Amino acid sequence: MEGIIAIWQRDIIKFFRDRPRMVGSFSMPILFLVVFGIGMGGSMESLVRAGTNAENFNYTEFIFPGIVSMTLLMTSIFSSLSIIQDRDFGYMREILVSPVSRVNIAIGKMLGSASVAFLQGVMMFVLLPVLGIGIDPLSFLLLLPVMFMIACAFASLGLLVASLLNSMQGFQLVVNILVMPMIFLSGALFPLNNMPGWVSFLVTLNPVTYGVDLMKHIMIDVESLSAGVRQEMGLNLTFFGQPVTMTGEVFFLLGFTTLLILLATLSFRRANS
Amino acid sequence: MIEVNNLKKNYKSFQAVKNSNFRVEQGEIFGFLGPNGAGKSTTINILSTMLPPTSGTVTINGYDVVKEQNRVRESIGIIFQQNTLDEKLTAKENLMLHCKFYGISRAQRKSRIDEVLEIVDLKESIGTLVEKFSGGMQRRLEIARGLLHYPKVLFLDEPTVGLDPQTRAHVWEYILKLKEKENITMFLTTHYLDEAEISDRIAIMDHGEIIAIDTPKRLKQQLGGDIIEITTSDNEAAMKEIRENFDVVDLSLKDDVIYCKVENSDAFVSEFIKTLQTPLTGLDIRKPTLNDVFLSFTGREIRD
Ligand SMILES: Nc1ncnc2c1ncn2[C@@H]1O[C@H](COP(=O)(O)OP(=O)(O)O)[C@@H](O)[C@H]1O
Ligand SMILES: [Mg+2]
Repeated sequence: MEGIIAIWQRDIIKFFRDRPRMVGSFSMPILFLVVFGIGMGGSMESLVRAGTNAENFNYTEFIFPGIVSMTLLMTSIFSSLSIIQDRDFGYMREILVSPVSRVNIAIGKMLGSASVAFLQGVMMFVLLPVLGIGIDPLSFLLLLPVMFMIACAFASLGLLVASLLNSMQGFQLVVNILVMPMIFLSGALFPLNNMPGWVSFLVTLNPVTYGVDLMKHIMIDVESLSAGVRQEMGLNLTFFGQPVTMTGEVFFLLGFTTLLILLATLSFRRANS
Repeated sequence: MIEVNNLKKNYKSFQAVKNSNFRVEQGEIFGFLGPNGAGKSTTINILSTMLPPTSGTVTINGYDVVKEQNRVRESIGIIFQQNTLDEKLTAKENLMLHCKFYGISRAQRKSRIDEVLEIVDLKESIGTLVEKFSGGMQRRLEIARGLLHYPKVLFLDEPTVGLDPQTRAHVWEYILKLKEKENITMFLTTHYLDEAEISDRIAIMDHGEIIAIDTPKRLKQQLGGDIIEITTSDNEAAMKEIRENFDVVDLSLKDDVIYCKVENSDAFVSEFIKTLQTPLTGLDIRKPTLNDVFLSFTGREIRD
């Protein structure tokens, strides 16, 4: 238990110490906000308004939860992948040669990466006034544990990937074939309607899909939207034909995290022998 | 304290460690000497549970390194060949995390940290970021950290590699001080000959094989005497004279220098100078070094 805390603590201390990184990691989400929110926002809004007669439809409101999820995904994956660098030389050996159990090492690292991502994600909310989006305090309080849970799911994925890669060389590959597709195939940046079957299948398995959807349901007053807008904006997710509920999404993310932590632990044990 | 039986380690088809057997007793400093690539780090990584052996058994403090990894991990401290400090953290933070990894109780942490920093003379730097430390200070901090949980055995893999000679001497001073104070069992590797000398016993390793194990003194004695390097105006004639008049263990000529091995250099030299006909230009008496030991076993020298 103490071991989990120590590994987690190390990431937290370093996060608060590294101010430049903290600021630097905002550049990408802000770029995406500008491109998708303002650039595409206008045409999306007029399209939706024309199709559904929704008067005060604000596209940025849909984009923001997606961009926060993207921040959670990127930060937690990159944070988890840093153990590859640490593994063969460097601090990971200090951890591995200690009596902390392997599964606790995985949990500690997952919590560390997730916390760093969570803090980055929460910091994004200072942009809300600039974007002209409001959020009621209760929704915000509900959002916090949900965001942390989402970050845990992503961090555990990063951990599993790290256990399978044996060098940092695979890093760029991971970004290209995993992170970017996960963002594009999640509905984070634009709604995914009428996709070919295999794409829908990937969307259904993608944990980012449910993270983004959960956040949207908490942040946006979905009930007040007309059925047409909900459909257009991809808010009616299905899971192999079944309508997706928020409880279902929570269970999916928790199950995903548990499974991947176990797989990562097994994979680390194997790599060590 | 350490027992190694028929230990082998292969990387794919490459044999990094070939059938090794040795024991290290409680309180002993045991040195592993060998050139780069000999298999020293591989051995130390197996002994510290970081690498599984291909075959053979190893027990540390009575625990098997494969079957009882956690017991072994609790019993050992290790200073790896590469730095494993977190440079973005302070000395204190590095030590605090270590306390937590090893389950040292909250009440004991502060006094333990003070104690080990005292040993390596880093008390003033407790709050400094490790990246601000010099190479020698980082090494000392690693040694301090390795001691924090009172290990039964301390492994040191090339603890002074990459340090300047003065700092090297400094680090060894601390290691010896430690040995005196704590009576801890130490297993160290080095490819510096002079460093191996401080060991109670040495295993000489080459190409994954242990070729000799003994105290430094006995290893050198085994060579059968001192080496005298002689230069003369006519080496051929001088060698002929030596062969005829003296009882030498070994005689050879290399690069215009005659290497003459004798059992007792004092007796030999006084007689030699008196009787030699060929004009003498130089004479140097050398006690055998571990390099000579290595040379005699492998026909090569250990080079840095
Ligand atoms: N992970 C590895 N995979 C393949 N070969 C290795 C690996 N680690 C070490 N070796 C090889 O095993 C030999 C022994 O290495 P090592 O134990 O590091 O030697 P030393 O510490 O004595 O310098 C070297 O020839 C090295 O190239
Ligand atoms: Mg080595």
